[in-house]
Amino acid sequence: MTISRRDFLKLAREGLLWLNGALTLGGVLRFLAFEAPPAPPTEISLGSATRYPLHSRTVLEDIPAVLLHTESGFTARSLTCTHLGCALAQAPGGFTCPCHGSEFGDDGGVRRGPAEHPLLSLRVEQTPAGELILYLV
Amino acid sequence: MKYALLVASFLLCLALLMVGWVEARRLEPVSLTPTLTGEVEYCLTCHADLPEISASHPVETFGCVRCHGGERLALDADLAHSTMRGGANPSDLEVVEASCGGSDCHSGSEADHRDHISRVMTSIQATYAGAIANIRYTFGAQPDLTAHFGISAITDPDSQTGLTALEAFDPANEHPSIQQFGANCLTCHLNAAPLEGEAYARSTGGAACHGTAEHTLSLAMPYTQCNTCHNRGNYDLRTMTFVPRTDEPTQRVDDYYQPIAQFTQCEYTLDCVDCHTRAEAMGDGDLHPDQASIEYVQCKTCHGTLTELPLTKTLTDPSDLAFTLAFLNPVVELKLGDTILVTEQGEPLWNTRVLPNGTYELIGKVTRQYFTFRPVMGTACEQNPDEQESHFCHACHAVEK
Repeated sequence: MTISRRDFLKLAREGLLWLNGALTLGGVLRFLAFEAPPAPPTEISLGSATRYPLHSRTVLEDIPAVLLHTESGFTARSLTCTHLGCALAQAPGGFTCPCHGSEFGDDGGVRRGPAEHPLLSLRVEQTPAGELILYLV
Repeated sequence: MKYALLVASFLLCLALLMVGWVEARRLEPVSLTPTLTGEVEYCLTCHADLPEISASHPVETFGCVRCHGGERLALDADLAHSTMRGGANPSDLEVVEASCGGSDCHSGSEADHRDHISRVMTSIQATYAGAIANIRYTFGAQPDLTAHFGISAITDPDSQTGLTALEAFDPANEHPSIQQFGANCLTCHLNAAPLEGEAYARSTGGAACHGTAEHTLSLAMPYTQCNTCHNRGNYDLRTMTFVPRTDEPTQRVDDYYQPIAQFTQCEYTLDCVDCHTRAEAMGDGDLHPDQASIEYVQCKTCHGTLTELPLTKTLTDPSDLAFTLAFLNPVVELKLGDTILVTEQGEPLWNTRVLPNGTYELIGKVTRQYFTFRPVMGTACEQNPDEQESHFCHACHAVEK
């Protein structure tokens, strides 16, 4: 089978045009499919309140925060050091910063610097279904 | 027309394929949002293999850009590095304020012991004022040893030493021999690049002392770190050149460059930082005319004299600087009620303890070895209490080299 020069050029031209169209479409689809990294969550479900008995003190390492359940209800404090932002570690009667040695009491107050400010209080709410929601902002 | 369309299609296709190829080669960014800055940075895309720089600077908290600068979202190496501070060394004194400064970091208040940068800037290791004055005096450029010049111009109106300002030293204005000093010998201050060679390998600025390994800052600085400047060789004043040492010491006592020097056992067994304090090495915030005026730890600091025990302090304040220093280099667990040695300036020798039997204990800041030692008082020592320079003690206690 032979193909004329004219037909070959026509075939090449049309083939290239189709290929360009396909590549462009692929690029557009890729662009449209792009998903920006999700923004950090501002609220986190802690599951059922029954998981945290009265007088419990639960360290939530992934956040990091500590959830306290007292007679007056649920409260939470950030476990990010107020000096430069390192994640705090548990210590007897409170928390200590592994970076520069700041120490905080269980109440979030500064026991030893260099941190100067108490730990940030975080809002905790219980839904009608009994689920605890921790608000980070 | 049809040819033109064909060529245009071909070129467009080529362009699209090139875009696809470049896209396919693009690195998948590794994202980090340090808690300190809250801003996404992609530096770990290429630098995830670097060791943590120190326990006080975890990458999850500090990230990279806070200290190094750079373009935090760039994936092209040249672009990402284009605005870095100090090249790979943000602690270089030219940029250290922007890199390491801040009231919560290293340019805070003296009361909080966070005035590191201003202390270093006025320290003798940065100004080199004594050496410059000595050389200028030797060659008749000044009538006495008074310090007038530093590596850079600096003022300290509140200096307790009486020296409130230094002009910038410019060898170009000096006698040819002093110019040679500038060219050949002015290499061991914190601004100077090190000499070539493994024995001199160090960085500049803060990392000259604390940069003990690649991408590592430490307070446990071995004597070998100090030796990159203090063990290198000697200056030949006849030729005004630096003459590197040629021997290769095989034992620690020979690891110091003065061939005629004497050393007591503790001087060649301990690390320099075990005895010499942060104020001596890093400056006390005042301009000093020479090394001798800031170097004050002596044998008697730890051993006392025939008539006096060494100075001590019982730790009663949880905020005492000794606890901070012991936390940052945890070789010893200090407790409230512990009694430690202090210098005449009140600096805590936090790696020491007074033992119940009246002797003392020192824990190596690098080696973590425990050493016990006695006070001079009550021994057969016949040293005149007024003669406490080391050479008097060396007369009996030194090891001849």
